[in-house]
Amino acid sequence: MSRTTHLDREVGQAFSALSAAAKKGLGDPGLAELVVIRASQINHCAFCLDMHLTIARKHGVSEKQLDLLATWEEAGDLYDERERAALALTEAVTVLTEGFVPDAVYDNAAKYFDDTRLAHLIALIVAINNWNRVMVGRRIPPGGYTP
Amino acid sequence: MTTNDTISTTVEYAPEHTPRLNWAEQAPEVFKAMVRLDAAARKGLDPKLLELVKIRASQINHCALCVDMHSKDALAAGESVERIVQLSAWEESEHFYAEKELAALALTEAVTVLTDGFVPDATYEKAAKHFEEAELAQLIAVIAVINAWNRFGVTCRLVPGHYQPGQYK
Repeated sequence: MSRTTHLDREVGQAFSALSAAAKKGLGDPGLAELVVIRASQINHCAFCLDMHLTIARKHGVSEKQLDLLATWEEAGDLYDERERAALALTEAVTVLTEGFVPDAVYDNAAKYFDDTRLAHLIALIVAINNWNRVMVGRRIPPGGYTP
Repeated sequence: MTTNDTISTTVEYAPEHTPRLNWAEQAPEVFKAMVRLDAAARKGLDPKLLELVKIRASQINHCALCVDMHSKDALAAGESVERIVQLSAWEESEHFYAEKELAALALTEAVTVLTDGFVPDATYEKAAKHFEEAELAQLIAVIAVINAWNRFGVTCRLVPGHYQPGQYK
């Protein structure tokens, strides 16, 4: 049985508006893609990975950073402290089922992002989690995105 | 032996925690987008079913504020206490719910917990039997949106207990 490809137009626009507001407030397109790709890996969203790997390359994120993203914690200084703080927060906010967002993870992110940027970083993690659910739930295949 | 001791009926609870971050104030455009998204996603869905879905997702994601809010909203909408209480064990209390509600709850769990695998065909197909296509797409959107509120609530450690039914409507 094939799954629906339907997505209400207003809902789709609202999902996009949320993502755009989050990205704009974070103000770091390269970091935004690292965050979005890591969440999509955790949530197994093939469509989202395909789309955001394409966008990340367009923003000049290095191939090495994209290749090793799933193992960022073991990748030495390939990611700077600010990126690492954002990636740790991404994982904690994406996987709520195993516990809360630990103080150490939150506090470390708050060291590198002021309240406004942090609120937008959290919003970006939330927004990609939305897309992951909507795409995985409907089993939308990868490859549909064209820049 | 003292027989006149009375057991104290006032118990002192732990102190209330403070939230980490007022995200809506720090990101007003994001908040506006969330409100718009919430309204768009719930279109065409039964309000009582919506609250069951929202409570169950909030339980799975451990969002205290969201559990507080949606349990109160459900009660205010005429939902029974026992159906709310049984939600965390709904698979073993199926006779409290309609088949359509059970299909929605199973889909809620699958779409909420993506980390353990994909959304199983059986779960999707059961939901598709009870919801026509546009309604099913809305249901998936609603599950995503409550997951979004859950993530803000848990990450910013928003405080439960102060919500009044209908406060944000």
